[in-house]
Amino acid sequence: MGLFRSAQDGIRALSDKRKRNHEIDEELESFIGESVSEKMRHGMSPEDAIRAARAEVGSTEVVRHKVWRAGWESAADTLWRDLTYTLRRISRAPGLVFVIVLSIGLGIAANATIFSIVSKFILSPAPVGDPSTLVTIYRTYDRGQCCNELPFPVYRDIREQAKSFSGVSAYDELVPASISSSGEPQRLWGQATSENYFDVAQLRMAAGRGFTANEYHAPVIVLGYRAWKQHFAGDPSVIGRPITVSGHLYTVVGIAPPNFHGLDPILDPQFWVPLGNLTELTANSPKEESRFTQWIRVVGRLQPGTTKGQAMQELNVIAERLAQAHPETDKNNGFHFEPTNAPPPRGKQAVVLFLTGLSAVALLVLFIACANVANLLLAQGAQRQREMAVRLALGATRAQLLRQLLIESIVLALAGGIVGVLLSIWATYALSSFHLPVPISVDTSVNVDARVLLYSFLLSLAAGFICGFVPAWTASRPLMPNALKGEEALARPGHRWSLRSSLVVAQISLSLILLCAAGLFLRSLENASRIDVGFRSRGLVMMAIDPQLHRYTPERSVQLLSAVRERIAALPGVVSASTSDGVPLSMGHRADGFEVPGRPKPQGQNVVELYMVGSDYFETLGIPRVAGRDLGEENPTATRVGVVNEEFVRRFFQGENPVGHIVNGAGVRYQIVGVVKNIKARTIDEDLRPVLYRSINQTIGPDPSQDGYTIMARYEGDPAALIDAMQHQIHAIDPALAVFNIKTMEEHVHEALFLQRLVGTIFTVFAVTGLLLAVIGLYSVMSYSVSQRTREIGVRMALGARASQVQSMIVRGGMRLAIVSLVIGLPLALAAARLTTSLLYGVRPWDVATFTLVPALLIAVALIACWIPSRRASRVDPIAALRMD
Amino acid sequence: MSDQPTDLIQGTLEMLILKTLALAPLHGYGIALRIEQVSAGAFRVNPGSLLPALSRMERAGHVKGDWHATENNRRAKYYELTVKGRRALQSETENWGRQIAAINRILEA
Repeated sequence: MGLFRSAQDGIRALSDKRKRNHEIDEELESFIGESVSEKMRHGMSPEDAIRAARAEVGSTEVVRHKVWRAGWESAADTLWRDLTYTLRRISRAPGLVFVIVLSIGLGIAANATIFSIVSKFILSPAPVGDPSTLVTIYRTYDRGQCCNELPFPVYRDIREQAKSFSGVSAYDELVPASISSSGEPQRLWGQATSENYFDVAQLRMAAGRGFTANEYHAPVIVLGYRAWKQHFAGDPSVIGRPITVSGHLYTVVGIAPPNFHGLDPILDPQFWVPLGNLTELTANSPKEESRFTQWIRVVGRLQPGTTKGQAMQELNVIAERLAQAHPETDKNNGFHFEPTNAPPPRGKQAVVLFLTGLSAVALLVLFIACANVANLLLAQGAQRQREMAVRLALGATRAQLLRQLLIESIVLALAGGIVGVLLSIWATYALSSFHLPVPISVDTSVNVDARVLLYSFLLSLAAGFICGFVPAWTASRPLMPNALKGEEALARPGHRWSLRSSLVVAQISLSLILLCAAGLFLRSLENASRIDVGFRSRGLVMMAIDPQLHRYTPERSVQLLSAVRERIAALPGVVSASTSDGVPLSMGHRADGFEVPGRPKPQGQNVVELYMVGSDYFETLGIPRVAGRDLGEENPTATRVGVVNEEFVRRFFQGENPVGHIVNGAGVRYQIVGVVKNIKARTIDEDLRPVLYRSINQTIGPDPSQDGYTIMARYEGDPAALIDAMQHQIHAIDPALAVFNIKTMEEHVHEALFLQRLVGTIFTVFAVTGLLLAVIGLYSVMSYSVSQRTREIGVRMALGARASQVQSMIVRGGMRLAIVSLVIGLPLALAAARLTTSLLYGVRPWDVATFTLVPALLIAVALIACWIPSRRASRVDPIAALRMD
Repeated sequence: MSDQPTDLIQGTLEMLILKTLALAPLHGYGIALRIEQVSAGAFRVNPGSLLPALSRMERAGHVKGDWHATENNRRAKYYELTVKGRRALQSETENWGRQIAAINRILEA
């Protein structure tokens, strides 16, 4: 109240200073008047009374000043005056302002962009009511090994027994469904949740409601806000209306709030249905009663007043009780919880490490930028030494000068911060275009949010202070006698190696480190993109359908997929076509542990990648056959057959011919009928993995795919026209089928390189920025030194030095700095390179090419930066130079 | 010694003003005069400290100022204690009493 009042009065006083002054004067006048009357009442003459009263009061000006000082507004007023003075001053050197603001802007942009990733994936709270009391509960195994999802009965046990939680909810991470209202059906990803999900999350729905307590099996659905806008045109009357969800009728009961996409930071589900409907929506859904299958994610809302420690204790007690009741499944298991927004504990360390590394590198860029700005301000301070000396001589204190100079650098840095934020808005937009090569829907978009803005603001403030302090300190204490005469007053006698040279050396060394890292990552990207993935990615287009989402039985699915394949293979321009349940290089697919009866244990891991494929698969993808036969339209009831790759043969058969042998994977027996060459299965930079291709016809019934089935076509000609034609053929068979994940294999492989491209891009941008800043620093130091040494150069030339000698003298001075930087920077870069090992593909951290080319490039650029000022030096006219003053 | 006006202890001026205004609203000179009279000339408050103090107290909501005519037919700003000011006076007086007692104990020890 008092604060508000004070602010209000202060602003009023500032906005009309004349009025406020008038008020003070009036009050003072009345004070004097009363004083005079009082004195006259005691018998003074009017003249004496007035004189005495005036003497008592003193100067009106002083009183006015004191009253002003009583409020905060006078401090604000001085600050404002300093600010306007600063703005007037710096507007006289627009070139300098441009370079400084851009330097800081680039540094801040680098940090804001990286921080926006941190903000999104680490810092942002779960988009629920009170994120601080919502936790995700995991199950530990082998006495505390982290972490797994929960079997459904364990969830039920927690929900019934734990008193620390006001609510415990469970959900299946991702459930596909084909959703249609009136138009073309859409395959969307959603989640199946326990009926209390929205209550536990404490979500305020955008419209309608969540699920009620008796809706565990009810055909109701909550739509995501984006799905509602995109597929239902944001029509509010959709609530209460039935829509088709994978061939079943569900009533829309609510719309989730905007920006809500589930509780995980990265998944992007767009609808929610009650968990009891899972069996009718997905084929092969996990069994609710199994205590073995760990599949359900569980979140708990802490009871008000209950601490996390108390909740953990209670969960430990429950874990012990469960271990006794179900020793065969629950022994040695425990629980663990994390804040709901936290990255999953298994990948957490890698993510945190990666982001810490990136943040450190971004700070390096900012440091280079700050060094640049400090450098420019030092040069500028040198030119202002006379002004400083005059002001000091006139009675200004050093503290006042220091404050003025610091305000200047902070204003510049804040302007740089604004530029930086604008740049990072663009950069985050570019970053959001990196897609993960996965078939599920994920949200990896990043943007500049409030946290990023605050971070950028604080960082620019700090940058302004850091890069302004040293120049301000030196500029505010010139050698007075020299300065007033207009001579060099900042260079202390006997200092050959100036502060500015050290800054430039630091800049060049740091940018050498960045450039070397960028070089390594670019080489790695080049290697990775030239990798033989084992199949021909050019001229391949693919799209997916999921017949199970349209209530197809396995038998009808087999017929449908065969029909679709035949129709598409017959299209003009299509060389061959095939079907599969997954696309290689999707970061992971189905995999099972395998063994071969009667043979020794495999060399290395026994995990085998599994793909279901239709006829002509190897021909369509261009995977060469080594032995045996391809898979065709296999008989669903015959012995299951499989084709393996060479790595499988090496691991399980020690290189002997496996054709005809039986292998056993997770209880299923396959007879090997063929061998093909290796492919990259999960990621592009992986070591070889064993792969087993099995027949769609034989597997679609017992082990259906969650991701749908992809039709791939090798074509010649225009892919766009072909994509239309393929969709047309699919809809000719069944117009209700949703078609999704349409892309060319080249696009997919491009996405599969996302990590290499991401790191390569970030480092290249950072390194080029760093180099640019360092070169500007070197150039400005050199050209400043040339302008300072004009007279010396004039004397040298008058004494007979030739232009070329002068020029080489200047260049030598600059190159000395560059060489010193290389000597310092190269060992640091070599040390830093070792940290990048885990991110490199096909290139050693101490890569000879990188570590010779990058320094050479740096020297070349440094030469140019020195050569330009040296030319100016060589053109000095000795007569003009000596006549200068 | 007694003729010389004493310097006010830092921070006590506002308390004295509050106390002075507790009886009746006064204008600036009136406050100064009353403090001088009651202290028998020991404290002489000049406008250089009085007016900033009043401005501060008005900001803090302890007093409220209004322009009225004086008995000499001049316009002057009369200050009046607010409820908040009354509370402030009470707490400051108690505080002051404690301090004085403590100081006395030290001096007499």
